[in-house]
Amino acid sequence: MNRQLLQRNTRFLLIWLPLVLLLCSVVFYTMLLKHTHHMQEKQLMLRQTNVWNAFVSKSGNIDWQLPGEYEIVEGIASPGFPLNEPLDTAFYFRDSKQLHPFKKLTSHLTWNGKSYLITTYISSTEFSHLIIKVFVTEAFILALLLIAIVIINRKSSGLLWQPFLSTMEKVNSFEVTRNESLTLPLETGTTEFNELNKAITELIARINTAYHNQKQFVENASHEMQTPLAIIRSKLELLINQPGLTEKNAALIGDIMEANDRLSQMNRTLLLLAKIENNQFPETETVEIAQLLKKILTDFKNHYDDIPLISATIENTTTVQVNRVLIEVLISNLIKNAIEHNQPTGNINIKLSNNTLLIENTGPEISVAPHELFERFKKGSHQTKTTGLGLALVKQICNLYQFEVSYTYSDGWHRVMVIFDQAGG
Amino acid sequence: MKLLVVEDETSLLQSILEYFTQEDFLCEGVGTFATALEKIESFNYDCIILDINLPDGSGLKLLHYLRQNKKDDGVVIISARGSLEDRITGLNLGADDYLAKPFHLSELNARVKALIRRKYAQGASILELGNLQLDLLARTVSCNNQPIVLTKNEYDLLVYLLNNKNRVVSKQAIAEHIYGDQADNMPSFDFVYSQMKNLKRKLKEKGCDEFIQTVYGLGYKLSL
Repeated sequence: MNRQLLQRNTRFLLIWLPLVLLLCSVVFYTMLLKHTHHMQEKQLMLRQTNVWNAFVSKSGNIDWQLPGEYEIVEGIASPGFPLNEPLDTAFYFRDSKQLHPFKKLTSHLTWNGKSYLITTYISSTEFSHLIIKVFVTEAFILALLLIAIVIINRKSSGLLWQPFLSTMEKVNSFEVTRNESLTLPLETGTTEFNELNKAITELIARINTAYHNQKQFVENASHEMQTPLAIIRSKLELLINQPGLTEKNAALIGDIMEANDRLSQMNRTLLLLAKIENNQFPETETVEIAQLLKKILTDFKNHYDDIPLISATIENTTTVQVNRVLIEVLISNLIKNAIEHNQPTGNINIKLSNNTLLIENTGPEISVAPHELFERFKKGSHQTKTTGLGLALVKQICNLYQFEVSYTYSDGWHRVMVIFDQAGG
Repeated sequence: MKLLVVEDETSLLQSILEYFTQEDFLCEGVGTFATALEKIESFNYDCIILDINLPDGSGLKLLHYLRQNKKDDGVVIISARGSLEDRITGLNLGADDYLAKPFHLSELNARVKALIRRKYAQGASILELGNLQLDLLARTVSCNNQPIVLTKNEYDLLVYLLNNKNRVVSKQAIAEHIYGDQADNMPSFDFVYSQMKNLKRKLKEKGCDEFIQTVYGLGYKLSL
């Protein structure tokens, strides 16, 4: 499963950091306990020395027993009784009615030839309270540390990855067909990102070069093809003017002429596509779509006796800032398609309103996926007389002016919609 | 009429020369910049058909030379570069017309004839064939002195056929002549057929002879 780097980092920290901190706490607690015991032992020893010194200097004239403090007994220890090491014990305090834990240390000492057993006591309660307080403080600090580390990590990651995110954004919006170059900052403050930006910049430069070469190739190839096409065309014209032309030969020549014309047309369209890609139509003017649409429709109606029935609803509201030649190509291509891919006694509906041109026509369903239809040489039907470049040209022009074009098919109607929404203009 | 064709593609040069020789032009053809310059310096031509991309120089330089030396030979440029800027450059340098490759010979013929007519015919701009008369300035057609009302397309069609009389003109050539670049956006050439049908009908109504023949579905021919 893929998560954001930041999330992964936080997760990682949240899993491992508490474990490490827990382990630290255990070690800390053990050390704390050990040191406390050591300190208790030292204190017991110190008390023993003090009491004994007092006992010896006062020649035994002190209290031999002070509950909870010390106890001196004449005699020797029973065998097996652990001497000189701290032992746990407890005293019952009558006023608080509680049993309090104590530590005691018993030693065997001699004075004036007599043996004494001296036992000193020290309360354990304060120490255990201290241990708990210290440990709780420590745990609190560790928890604070954990939160601080996670927060700082998140904040710093956000800052550190900022150059990466801005690079990503720019790379995402890069479009090779729009002929733009990509400028990425080469100084981001982080070596890795500097290198990344450098690598991407170089990559884009290489892509642009390759794309430019390809475009150049298409344009050059199309240009070079014009002359042979012109030769074929001129020879065919001479041929149809030869005396003694038979009907059979005429049919053959007619087929060659048709094929040659299709080739010329394809070539011209490819050249036009290449020119649009190369931004060779820089001059624009304000064009009223409604006017243009009416003119084109009138032209089509004038030239054909038997075009499908066209019903048009045209509102005079849409103007665009475009090259007139290209917008004419765009609209007449769409209408031509609606006529060509129609059925006998079919219909065409044209609707222009609110910056949207909708062209609907009846016709058999096509076999190509709608989004592929706008690619070069994709044909929806097996009509051999079309070049398969018409919609590619439409798409290219729409791309140039940031118009949206879409195709749908339902209930026997093909619908092509163009939205003339020019971003920022 | 003297015609110079400057074109480096031998095949195309031959085609053009053959077509215009049949039109009773006195034709000369050259394939290089140097030989073209020699010809231009030594003779005057009524019209020069000029290709821009020559192996040893640009046709535009020849044009420049012509206009600098105040030679008023008509010039029709034929070029593989057909963009608007290329056309404007050529026309600004003093070309009279610009035709992009691949072109139809009948179209080139019509352009050359129009150019020569502009150059020499002052007032006399009447085309005649049998009892058919066509006034190019007034854009009117009459048959036996009876006016015939034609649409713009039908008129253009008739002028085109008259310019290429006694020749088979292909449907494609007619389509491109009438619609220019827009011909690519036309669904098919059926409209040539319907225009031609209407034109023939109108001519016949006014008693003009059957001038226009259909040639095996290839195209049309106007002849007496």
